[in-house]
Amino acid sequence: MSKLTGVLIGCGAIAREHLTVMAELDKVEIVAVCDISAARAEATAERFGIAKWYTSHRDLLGDLQPDLVHITTPPASHLPIARDVLTAGLNVFCEKPMTVQYSDFSTLRQLARDKGCMLVENQQNRFHSSVQRIEGLIRSGELGDILELQICLSLNINSTDSPYVDKNAPHFGLTLQGGIIGDFLPHIAYLAYMFTGKVIDVHTVWAKHKSDSPLPADEFRGMIKGEKTTAYVSFSGNAQPDGFLIRVVGNRMRVEVNLYEPPRVIVKRARSGEPALGTLIDGIAESRQALVGSVAGFLRKLGGTSSYDGLREMISRTYRSIELREPQPISLDEIDEVAQLVDRLAATGNS
Amino acid sequence: MKVLVTGGGGFLGRSVVDRLLEKGHAVRAIVRPSSPRPPWPDTVEVFRADLRVEDNLAPAFDGVDAVLHLAAATSGGEDVQFSSTVVATERFLDAMAKSAVKRLIHVSSLVVYDWSKARSCMDENTPLESNPYAMGGYTIAKVWQERIVSRLAEKHSWDITIARPGFIWGADHAQIAGMGRQFGQIYLLFGPFTRLPLSHVDNCADCLVAAAESPAASGEIFNIVDGDDIRVWRYAREYARRTGRRGLLLPVPYRMGLGVAQLAALTSRRLFGRKGKLPSLLTPRRFESQFKPIRFSSERVRNRLNWKPRLSFAECLDRSFEKRG
Repeated sequence: MSKLTGVLIGCGAIAREHLTVMAELDKVEIVAVCDISAARAEATAERFGIAKWYTSHRDLLGDLQPDLVHITTPPASHLPIARDVLTAGLNVFCEKPMTVQYSDFSTLRQLARDKGCMLVENQQNRFHSSVQRIEGLIRSGELGDILELQICLSLNINSTDSPYVDKNAPHFGLTLQGGIIGDFLPHIAYLAYMFTGKVIDVHTVWAKHKSDSPLPADEFRGMIKGEKTTAYVSFSGNAQPDGFLIRVVGNRMRVEVNLYEPPRVIVKRARSGEPALGTLIDGIAESRQALVGSVAGFLRKLGGTSSYDGLREMISRTYRSIELREPQPISLDEIDEVAQLVDRLAATGNS
Repeated sequence: MKVLVTGGGGFLGRSVVDRLLEKGHAVRAIVRPSSPRPPWPDTVEVFRADLRVEDNLAPAFDGVDAVLHLAAATSGGEDVQFSSTVVATERFLDAMAKSAVKRLIHVSSLVVYDWSKARSCMDENTPLESNPYAMGGYTIAKVWQERIVSRLAEKHSWDITIARPGFIWGADHAQIAGMGRQFGQIYLLFGPFTRLPLSHVDNCADCLVAAAESPAASGEIFNIVDGDDIRVWRYAREYARRTGRRGLLLPVPYRMGLGVAQLAALTSRRLFGRKGKLPSLLTPRRFESQFKPIRFSSERVRNRLNWKPRLSFAECLDRSFEKRG
């Protein structure tokens, strides 16, 4: 049986993660890559043993008809490239955010529907092993009703050697509403949406902690009221150490994970009995979970497991959907809902 | 001669500009927009540009006789280094191709060689690294940078010289990779008697300017090292003494360090297959490329250009540390 074929446009840092995953999928062959830099395209092709490389995505689309086109260019170029790919009747797997403006997403969505093509935004952390574990606890009823969700992302974007504050070559994230933080809002939004469901109301606060930072804002807080629960979400460009913390509070347990340190998951269950003894038992249980999770995380690193936990599952599911002619792994309606949430979270970002 | 210097505001660039001025040349230096102007006389033209993004590089080549291409990243992730070193070079040389300038001196590095294939002495005949992706971001970037330079030089019939310096060191840049690694108060010196391919920044700058001036440098590839008689132990002791940094210098035989790296690699392969990842110190090829006990020849540059280092090691030490606080 012939393999499914994939191509990739935009050979930057995230492209390497996509290509590593694609190279590991038995049923997928990477047939070409493309970048406006010939050197970068050729180096990427050489590194991954890919036969063809291009400097124009239109030339690529003229020569090849792959099953899936990965778009990993900066966000401002997603719209024109995705439009060309969909117009050619090909499926799209696009890095987040799919478009800079929500209205542009609507354009692509309509085009995908008209052409009968997949239009998938990379929402890899939906398939992150720690998030899947939380989902399992919810599905099994162990967590009970979800009463509260916290998503706190901390990343030192203000450090002197950070590409986000490079004054000589402004980062592409600065073209987004909310600046660099806008580049991370999709991660926060799709994770929040998984638990809150349809969004009813949004409140945000933007601030600048480091006054000499070239960024329009380096701190963000938000409250999301959803159909199922409420979520507190935040991004800090100054809080250290870096972390991507999710805390889900139910009426039977609470669970805490750091997406940067899988597979450690800390679960604390409601228990009856002597409180002092319960504190001791909980402490021992948490220590055990932290130790086991940390050792497993260390071994994963030594084993070369990508730090982009969830990307492999996301890409794998997309190719499987193509192979089996099933609906895309995340529906267009859900991607639309998330894009709207991002738009609402970012709405006051540059004010 | 009017010389255009890329990376003019960098560590090597500042020395190169100083040497060009000493030799009476006119200088135009490309300096990143946010970098301060180095303390140069007003005669130095500063062309503000970041080669990664600047679209209008054409004026930089006006009236220029030769280009000294130094711009490259020495730190950052793989993608950052590739952008700053390779993509920037690609863009810069595309602009040069549209100009009348034909003379290019490109500063490469000894990392472009395959150190595992270097026998007793590394010289210009040592095979080049064929799998840079196993070696880390700096090697990937420098290998690809040289490939791009060579290809475009051939395509446009440029008069080119490629210079491959060893460890470039000097004031505020005296901690070099070949010294070993610092863990808290302990400095592990892998192969204390290993020879270091040192190139003091002022000697290196002098050699590059000599290459720009000499017709004998046309079409040549040179390794630039001051010599190879300074060994790790001596350099590390001088460094510790002159910086006043306290700590224990702990010599580790090269074979022992390499053996540990080989054992770690074997264990990783057994446990995790080819996907296994190890830090560079525990990756045998990367360990070799930093600490391999071989000799380093600079015979070619000495013979063809009749060049020798202006400054002795003792003078380099004085010059490198006298400026400190």
